[in-house]
Amino acid sequence: MDIRETIRGLQPLYGKVTPLRTVQETRPPEDFADAYVTEVNVKTASKVIKALDSAFPKDPSLPLSHLRRFAKREILPPPLRAAIEEQSPPLAAPVQTIFVLISPPLPDLDKLQALLAPFAPNAAPATPGQTPEDASQPDSPSPKIYLHPTKIPLYPPFNSKQADAWTKTLWPVVFNPAAPRSTVAPPPQILNRAQESIEPRAGYYLSLARKVAEEAEQSGLGRGVGAVIVDPAIEEELSAASWESGAGETASWDEAVLAVAGDARYCRPEAGAPSQAQLHPGVAPNPASTTYIAEFEGGPELHALMRAAGFIARWRRENDSRGDATATADASNPEHLQDTEELSSLESYFLYRHRPGASDTTIGELLFSPSSPKKRKHEEPNPESGSTIDPSNPEQSQLQTPPLPAPPPSTTAVSGPPIPITAPATSRIRTRSQGGYLCTDLDVYVSHEPCLCCSMGMLLSRFRAVIFPRRGRLESGGLASEPVVAPTADEVEPEDDTKGQDERGYYGLHWRKELNWRALGFEYVEEDDEEIKDEPKRPVFHA
Amino acid sequence: MQTPETSQMPAVEFTGNPAVAEDSRHGYFMRQALLMGEKALQSGETPVGCVLVHNDQIVGYGMNDTNRSMNGTRHAEFIAIAEMLQSYPRSALQHTDLYVTVEPCVMCASALKQYRIRCVYFGCANDRFGGTGGVLSLHSDSSIDPPFPVYGGLFEKEAIMLLRRFYIQENEKAPNPRPKKNRELNTKFEDGSEEASTPL
Repeated sequence: MDIRETIRGLQPLYGKVTPLRTVQETRPPEDFADAYVTEVNVKTASKVIKALDSAFPKDPSLPLSHLRRFAKREILPPPLRAAIEEQSPPLAAPVQTIFVLISPPLPDLDKLQALLAPFAPNAAPATPGQTPEDASQPDSPSPKIYLHPTKIPLYPPFNSKQADAWTKTLWPVVFNPAAPRSTVAPPPQILNRAQESIEPRAGYYLSLARKVAEEAEQSGLGRGVGAVIVDPAIEEELSAASWESGAGETASWDEAVLAVAGDARYCRPEAGAPSQAQLHPGVAPNPASTTYIAEFEGGPELHALMRAAGFIARWRRENDSRGDATATADASNPEHLQDTEELSSLESYFLYRHRPGASDTTIGELLFSPSSPKKRKHEEPNPESGSTIDPSNPEQSQLQTPPLPAPPPSTTAVSGPPIPITAPATSRIRTRSQGGYLCTDLDVYVSHEPCLCCSMGMLLSRFRAVIFPRRGRLESGGLASEPVVAPTADEVEPEDDTKGQDERGYYGLHWRKELNWRALGFEYVEEDDEEIKDEPKRPVFHA
Repeated sequence: MQTPETSQMPAVEFTGNPAVAEDSRHGYFMRQALLMGEKALQSGETPVGCVLVHNDQIVGYGMNDTNRSMNGTRHAEFIAIAEMLQSYPRSALQHTDLYVTVEPCVMCASALKQYRIRCVYFGCANDRFGGTGGVLSLHSDSSIDPPFPVYGGLFEKEAIMLLRRFYIQENEKAPNPRPKKNRELNTKFEDGSEEASTPL
């Protein structure tokens, strides 16, 4: 069947894109630590801070900037205030006092007592007029520092509700909605912009991912899982072009697709023995897919997402190695088996269309290619990769100059020796010399929730975003951070009252504060998702 | 159910464990992994090396290959497995141990679990990406594949020195290389010891 016809005939999924929450959002870190509160003379407050800070160094990894340093008696949390007043009743005027927080790492208690003694409310030198009141105190008249134990939250509050709760029970806490919280969740403006750019065509790309999945399954070479890599920069150009021409925004959606890959876990012969696919020629789906038997599962490098990222790398090796003698294949390296790996018809169509010299590519298409580096924009770099475009970098500013159009074959023939086409300006995929690096700034659409291995591979490939249909969730998946919840529940913490849901780990790997790389994660919720709850049970496997 | 965080089973330390001492056969295999890491360093790759050991024989060698392949997922473990599978069926991995200079990352830890590796020995921990105790503990988390044991700390200093020697270099392949002209190789460790100049 004609591939272009197949693509044109694809019906998009109907539904909406919704951000995947992060594990920091679904399980806000509520780590608490011991701290001390003590009452000091308000006039000595700045001296107290100076003395504390110089005597006891802070832990730079715990800024604790969400905690107030001081609190007046009136704003102390009632339980703490009660505990304090039981031990040291408030002094009568005119001594004005304030409470200071001594936060972890906690110093030695005796040292702390000694350090703070001069600032105690009843320390004589600072307040000469207090002697009569002092005398009425039942306890020792010597300056006394009471250290009252309390608990403090180690991490900033996630919302004002949490801040209020802590302020009322532990210690006054400041909620700063503008504070950079990229370790908790993607900054909202970046998330929203990406969602807006993804929304119009996501249904098409996921439909294509399912088509690729079907191809993989029907070939008997793999399970029914597909992945589609899209360049959002090209999407932006498509949107701009559609506004100019008045055509629908989703027209030519497939122009932004860089590569597709299907699952191929049954295609690898091991130890020279026939592969699962070769054992069952012409049988589709492969009988091994009806169950999960580890030996028949190939390996995660044969999963759709990993193969797709591998195709981008493969294309770059093929296109950057021209004229580069050092990049020639080392036959002893098994990695090079990848370069000879066979591609399905959809896979090779998307990876190699518009390639210079490709037989089905016309010059007109070459010149029209929407991804010409000249027009490419990078306004939305990976939120975690920092500034990716440096105008002073000559290699990158090369992107701004118009590329040389590939000369038509007839002219190369008459204009002297053939010029090797080293920079395929007509390709969608950026070569290394054009600044292309791994899958930076690209989006990947997958028919199913990728497994933990592929989810981390996605991060290591530096994708901008990953999108999968909610219906493709798998208990072996690495991205979801919580069970499917009703869309109305937002601030409410999902309690463990979710009935009948699969037992699985929710890793939310796309955005974990511990990991160096992060990507935006989205789920596609189809309109009829509600109705098909009773889907036939499929075997659990790693997608 | 247990969340990934609550089910952590820290990797067992080698220190004081004579069964896996550095002068044992484990030490021999880890030295081979370190040699692969050295090879990676010479090739301009992040110096992580590994070997797969089946019936006391090395059946797969791997070193990080992300720069050459332009593929960020080509870690040493995958290269070694690919080599092994040319001569052994996948099921042989259930009777195979991995010796790797750096704790497997989350991706590799999941892959090793899917491949049902028998046991993993690593050199230094990986607190940025580690999947067997460093960040996550996939080796012990419950999943559709059985857990596997992990031992860390074998030739830890040698593994760290390989990484340090790599990271004082400038990364010419990065979009914005950071100048590192004035950096000096740190040869000290937290316990106060110093690295000998010829670790192997």
